[in-house]
Amino acid sequence: MRKFLTLSFLLISTLVLAQDTTLFRANMDEVVVTATRSERKLSNVAVPTTIVHSKRIMQSGSVRLNDILGEQTGLVITESFGKGIQMQGLNPDYTLILLNGEPLIGRMSGVLDLSRISVGNIRKIEIVKGPSSSLYGSEALAGVINIITDQPAADRLSATLRYGRFNTIDASVNGSMKSGKFSSSGFINYNKSEGYSLLPGSIQKTVEPYWRLVNQYQASYDFSAKTKLSASVRYNYEDIRNSITVSNLGQNIVSYGSEKNKDLNINPVLTHQFNKKLKTHMRGYASLFESAQKLDVKDQANNYNDLFQQQFYRVENQTDINASERLNFNVGGGYIWENVRSNRYDSLNTKRSNNIAYLFLQNEWRPIDRLSIIAGLRYDANKAYASVWSPKLAVRYNFNEKLSILGSVGRGFKAPDFRQLYLNFTNVAAGSYSVFGSLVATDEVERLTADGQMDFVTPAYEKLKDLSPETSTGINAGLQMQPVKDLSLKFNLFRNDIDNLIITDIIGYKKNGGQIYSYLNVNRAYTQGLEADASFKKGRYTYAVGYQYLVTADKEVLEDIKAGTVFTRDLETGISRRLLRSEYSGLNNRSAHTANIKLFYESLDAKWFGTFRVLYRSKWGINDIDGNGIINNNRPDEFASGFAQVNISGGRQFQNGIRVMLGVDNLLNYTDPVNMPGNPGYNWYATVRYDFMNKHKQ
Amino acid sequence: MNTSMKAFVAVAAVVVLAACGKDDNGGTIVQPLTVKTANDIIADTIIGMAATGQPYGSGKYTFYNLENNAIVPSSDSNTTRWDIGLRGTTIITNGGASGPANGGAFVYIGTFEELKTIPADSVFRTDAANNYAIPTGSNRGWYIYNAPVNLITPIPGRVLVIRTATGKYAKLEILNYYKGGVTPDASASENLKLKEQRYYKFRYIYQPNGSKSFE
Repeated sequence: MRKFLTLSFLLISTLVLAQDTTLFRANMDEVVVTATRSERKLSNVAVPTTIVHSKRIMQSGSVRLNDILGEQTGLVITESFGKGIQMQGLNPDYTLILLNGEPLIGRMSGVLDLSRISVGNIRKIEIVKGPSSSLYGSEALAGVINIITDQPAADRLSATLRYGRFNTIDASVNGSMKSGKFSSSGFINYNKSEGYSLLPGSIQKTVEPYWRLVNQYQASYDFSAKTKLSASVRYNYEDIRNSITVSNLGQNIVSYGSEKNKDLNINPVLTHQFNKKLKTHMRGYASLFESAQKLDVKDQANNYNDLFQQQFYRVENQTDINASERLNFNVGGGYIWENVRSNRYDSLNTKRSNNIAYLFLQNEWRPIDRLSIIAGLRYDANKAYASVWSPKLAVRYNFNEKLSILGSVGRGFKAPDFRQLYLNFTNVAAGSYSVFGSLVATDEVERLTADGQMDFVTPAYEKLKDLSPETSTGINAGLQMQPVKDLSLKFNLFRNDIDNLIITDIIGYKKNGGQIYSYLNVNRAYTQGLEADASFKKGRYTYAVGYQYLVTADKEVLEDIKAGTVFTRDLETGISRRLLRSEYSGLNNRSAHTANIKLFYESLDAKWFGTFRVLYRSKWGINDIDGNGIINNNRPDEFASGFAQVNISGGRQFQNGIRVMLGVDNLLNYTDPVNMPGNPGYNWYATVRYDFMNKHKQ
Repeated sequence: MNTSMKAFVAVAAVVVLAACGKDDNGGTIVQPLTVKTANDIIADTIIGMAATGQPYGSGKYTFYNLENNAIVPSSDSNTTRWDIGLRGTTIITNGGASGPANGGAFVYIGTFEELKTIPADSVFRTDAANNYAIPTGSNRGWYIYNAPVNLITPIPGRVLVIRTATGKYAKLEILNYYKGGVTPDASASENLKLKEQRYYKFRYIYQPNGSKSFE
C-alpha cells in the first residue's frame, strides 16, 4: 500500500509539473446510459464508470471483446471456459454483459466467452463497477459491461481485412444507410485462425483451429419525431475443431472433437415520447444459444455428444418521468421466460425452465446543482429459487469543476444457474464421478441407493436444500479530480461482501469409489481494493496510467485459520505446521497488483496514429500444492509468475479512403503455456480498411 | 540458513541425540523415542488403465511393521506381524475386517510435534468392509486429490494415530505419495504422474512400552 502511495504521488507530481496549454477535451460532458438506464452526463454519474470508444478499440488493434477489456484498469481476463472477465476481484459469473442493453446468454460454467464478441462494429463500451442489480437483476453483482454497437446513421460502407500470425484472418464489412424515416445497418465478421502450439513436440495444439462468423443487422423506423421503432438481429456462429491424443502408460488414445456454438439475438424496441416529461420504452428480446460438443474416439463406438440449448425471452417496459428539472424517476418491469435443454441435464427431451417477474424503480434527485442522489430498488420474483430485493443508493457531490466525490452502496445478486440446479452428469472417463444439480441430487442419490450403487453419503448431503441466489453488498467510494485542464485523476475504493456463495461439495461416494458432487450455498467471501486512473494530454500525446490493488479472502478459510485448523507443509522439509494469517493469499486467480501504462499519439491532421501499451499483472494463485486446499504465500509453487506485456500499434489514413495499420501484441514474447494457454506469445498483424463512402470522415 | 533449514537441522539433531541415548542401563531408564522415516514404500503401483479410464494395480496391499520399520511379506497377511497395510491411497490397520489383530486408528488434526500424548477421550476406529478406520477418499482422511492437476497430496496437519497389531501405539505422518518423496510438477505429463505415484514416504514414532505418550 505504501509503495502504491509513493508511486501515485510521484506520478501525480510528474504530471502536474508538466506544463501544457493545448486543448484538452474533458470528456465529462459525455453521455452514458448504463449507470442509470437513462442518458446521463458522465459528470453527473455517481458510480464508477468508464467509457471505451471505438477509436481506442481500433487503434489498440483489438479484434475480440476480451482484447480491449483486458487493457482496462482493474479488469483481468480469465482463461477457463473461454475468456471471462474478472471485475473488482470477482469471478466472470458476477459481471453482467449487455449488448445494446440486453443480456447476452450462453454462459458455460458461469463464464460468458468474450471472444464470441467481435468489436468491429462497436461504437463504445460502458463499464460500470459495483453492484447494479437494482437496475439489471441477476449477474450484475461485480458490475455491468454494456456493448453499444453502431447505430444506423448516415450512408456508409467499409470493409476491413486483417491478417496476422498463425494465419489468423479477421474480415468484416460494416455498413449503414438512411432514407427518410428508415435507417438500417449491417455488420458481418469472419474470424479464423490455425491455432498454435506452445509446447513443442506435443501432438495436441494449445489452441485448436477455429472459425467464427458474426452477422448483425439493425433497422429503425421513425414514425414521428416522438415514436421510433427499431429492431436488431445478431447471429453468431463458431466452429472449433480439436484432435486430442492422450498417452497413458504408453497407451495412445486418439480422439477428434468439435465444438459448435450458435447464438441468435432479436431485439425490437419501441420508444415513445409523450411529452417533455414522459418517455416510455417497450423492449422485446429473444435470445437463443446452442452449443454442441462432440468427441469421437478412434476405434471406439462410445462417442461423446454434448448438446446445450438455452432460450431466453423477455418483455420489458421502462418509463422515464422527468417530474422536474431536479427530480427524475425511472419505473420499469418485465417478465422473463428462460429454458434450457441439455443431455447433461437428464435428457434432451426434458426442458428445464424458470420464469422471472421483476419491477424496478429509480429516483434521481438533485436538491442543489452540485449534489445528485440516486436511489434504486428492484424486486425479482423467481419460480426456481428464492426471490430477491436489490436496493442501491448513490451520491455524487461536485465541490467545483476540479473536484468531485462519489459514493454508492448497493446489493447485488446472482441467481443459481441451470447447471447448479439441474446438472446430471457422470464422467465415466475419469473416475466415474458425478455432479448433480441441487434440485435433482436427492432423487439421484435415492436412485443410486435403490440400484445398490451407493456407498455412503457425507454430512453435506443433509445440508442440501433449495439454492438461494448468491448475494453481495458492494461499497464504492471515489474521488475525481481535474487539477489542471489536461489532467484527470480518478480514485475508487471498493469492498464487496458476498454471502451464500455457491460451492461444489462431495455429498456422497459410490461403491466404485466415484464421488458425488452437488451445489451448496455455504461460503462467504470478500474482495476489496483501490483503483486509480490518471490520464494526461500533452500536445498530440495522451498518457494514461491505471492501477488496481486487490485483496480477497474466503471468510470460511479465515475462520479456520483463526481456529488453528489450517496447516501448511514446508517446501523443503515436508514438515507440517500451522498456517499464519499473513500467509493466506486469498482467492485463487487474483493478482494483488495490476497496472497499465498507455501512450497514444495522433498527428494534428489525424492521419497518423501510434500506441504503446504496457499491461502488468503480479503473481496469482493457481493451485493448491501443499494439500490444505488454499493458496498460501509460503509456497511459491502455488503461484503463476507475474508478467508484463507490451503491445504496440501504428497506422496511417489516406485521402482515398484507405487506412493501414500494423501492430504487435506481446512484443516481449512472454508465454506461460500452463497458466496462460490463451496467450500465444508475440502476435503481429496487419490491417487494411477501405471506406467506400465518407472517405474523409473520422 | 533459512527458517525451514533451521527446523530441519533441529529435527535432525533431535533424531541424532535420541539415537545416541540408546545405552542400556538395567531397563530402568525409559529409552527416548526416535522418529523413524520410511521412504518409497511401494503401495500397489499402477499397472494398467481400465476401459473406464481408471488406473489399476495388482490389488495387493503392502504390509508394514512399525516396530521393526520394515515391510512384511504378504504371506503374513493373516498374522499379527503387520500394523498397517498400504494399497493406493487406502491405508488399513490390522484389525476388524482387515486383519486378525485388534489394531485400529484415528486421524488426529494437528501437527506431529504437538501430539505428545494421545488424548484420553480419543476413539480408535477399526476397519469395516469399505469403511476403514482411516477414511478413504479425497479430503476425508489423510490426502486431498487435486483433480485439475491430477495430483494426490497428504493434507498437512493430519497425524494417523495407530494402535498396532500388538496393542502398542504409534503416531504417523504421511509426507509424500510419489517416488523419491517428490510430488511431480503440476505441468508434468499424465504418464509420469501415474507412474510415480503410490510410493509412500512417512515418518512416525512408535511407543514400545504400551503407553499413549510419545515423549
